[in-house]
Amino acid sequence: MTLERLCSTAHRNYLTRALLCGLGVFSFAQGLMAQDKPATTQPLPVLTPQVPLEITVTKKPPTLASLQDDFDVFSWQTFIALNWPANSDGTPDTNLTIGQAPNDPVVWQSYRESRSIFLPDGATPAPWGEETPPPAVCKNIDAKHLPAGTLRLTQVGKTPNVLDESGEPFKTGPLIDQNGQYTRFSIMTNQAMFTYIVNNKLYSKQGQKLFNADANFPASDATKQQLGSIMIKTAWVKMGGKYDPSKFYTTYALVYDNPDEEPGVKPSCVLEQVGLVGFHIGHKTQDEPQWVWSTFEHVDNVPTKGQAATLAAYNFFDPHCKNCAVNQPPPRPWNPGNRYTKPSQVERVIPITTEAQQLNAAYHQALAAAVPDSVWLNYELVSTQWPTDAQSKTDPTGVPAPSFLANATLESYIQGHVKQTSSSCMACHNNATTTNGNFSDFTYLLQRAQ
Amino acid sequence: MSSEMDNFIGLSAVLTGFNKSVLSPFLDPVDIKSEYLPFFKQKIAQESGNPNLVGQILEKYSSLSAQGLTPQQIGAAMLDPGNGADFVLACRKLIFMWYSGAWPTLIPANGSTPASTVSDMISAKSYTTGLVWQVMQSHPMGDSNYRYGYWAKAPASLSDYTGNGGK
Repeated sequence: MTLERLCSTAHRNYLTRALLCGLGVFSFAQGLMAQDKPATTQPLPVLTPQVPLEITVTKKPPTLASLQDDFDVFSWQTFIALNWPANSDGTPDTNLTIGQAPNDPVVWQSYRESRSIFLPDGATPAPWGEETPPPAVCKNIDAKHLPAGTLRLTQVGKTPNVLDESGEPFKTGPLIDQNGQYTRFSIMTNQAMFTYIVNNKLYSKQGQKLFNADANFPASDATKQQLGSIMIKTAWVKMGGKYDPSKFYTTYALVYDNPDEEPGVKPSCVLEQVGLVGFHIGHKTQDEPQWVWSTFEHVDNVPTKGQAATLAAYNFFDPHCKNCAVNQPPPRPWNPGNRYTKPSQVERVIPITTEAQQLNAAYHQALAAAVPDSVWLNYELVSTQWPTDAQSKTDPTGVPAPSFLANATLESYIQGHVKQTSSSCMACHNNATTTNGNFSDFTYLLQRAQ
Repeated sequence: MSSEMDNFIGLSAVLTGFNKSVLSPFLDPVDIKSEYLPFFKQKIAQESGNPNLVGQILEKYSSLSAQGLTPQQIGAAMLDPGNGADFVLACRKLIFMWYSGAWPTLIPANGSTPASTVSDMISAKSYTTGLVWQVMQSHPMGDSNYRYGYWAKAPASLSDYTGNGGK
């Protein structure tokens, strides 16, 4: 393939960046690709609290595989930065490194939970940095003395009812852990995204009606050194029973049973220690207007379909159960208030690639070098989805790579390789709209406006 | 790409009228070509009884391409009856495969029953990547990447879909 032809394609962004980058840039990921496993002589990845604003193209000319590695490095860098110990204002504490002060909040915990943005009757949300009152049912808990970084976990499905009814083609169903408890979820936005919503009054139906245009969230801009919009989706299990807190990143959460999620659910609110099992990052960048979608999981979550279950215990799979239906949501009715529900039996349908596994090993080495017993050694990148043709005139999804991507905790029951049925971050979020039918820029959050 | 794949894509572009950059994008996560080439070779060998026929077709394309002929001239030469019935039929089936994502089987007339063609979908991926949807500036039933409300807007130009817009 000639350089001329490459430059004539819509993919010239990646090529241009490779040329600017030149061959002098050391490609850590490429170095790994040539080997079966990371050599100890390879320099370890650098751990920094800086969220990358754009990928670094490391191969000239780039290939699908080399760019996938570049995006996977971008994902790990973002994961490191967002899980860096935070100061009280949410900025990274540069006196610490990731893995230190494991009981303190990390950077993303200062982000705004969706519940505190889309308020009843379309009320104006509290300014950035202000504490949001917990749900009324939590009034028996002393809100003034909650541990720092306490989450409000109100969702028992990745998508609450408002989306299932109007915006999603499927209902994913709750995920039940090995203690028979519902996994809980949270969606949060960073300041850039929150500010755009507030400034344009997109937090209310009335505001969206007046706005009456496609949403266009600010993108990260490496030239201006500006951080753009980031969304975080997290999945959590209650600690205790079969879950050892020392193996998880834990925090405290007001675990709230929301009567609006399912019929028959009674409101309740309990302060619980919860452990992180799933972590999605959506990050809008200048060259990826379809956003970059990174997904991480706890390493003990699930085995891979068709491969031996090598662990004695998994977070969402029982190796001893011979007749458990795999990747099937629990039967209705769904009620997180039930004392026990039969655990879900989940397998990963699309294996983590060898290249991603090698990158995970490299980052685990770096994390262990920084903090030998770092809890973050228990987390791994599944993959990163990115647009191969971001400026396509015929495909607004930008032809994502890989075509399908699922997190076993967040898309447990829609894994696979069938379009419009199996999980694809960009293909799904491309359908998202505001409450009055305008494109909402790859987020379903705006559907929550009242 | 291998030279065999290069020739397969070049021939497919000539016969379908689509640009090579559409049939085989520089970054190609869908990669339908890697499904079509082995399928085409297997079916043609099986149906013609000639395991070398696809190789002969691709060699002829390569030879014509090296002569600097226009796509129209190459296409006409490939479909020339003088190449033999199996040769031309294979080229026509190649067009059918790219456009429909399916494989055609010709059923000759039998008594009062007229000749007909039945087709079998090759895969879910081939269904969604059929070029017929691109020519229609539309999408397959049950699979659309367009955004909500697209039906009220004009589609992209045909040349954007075929890749022949001179970009």
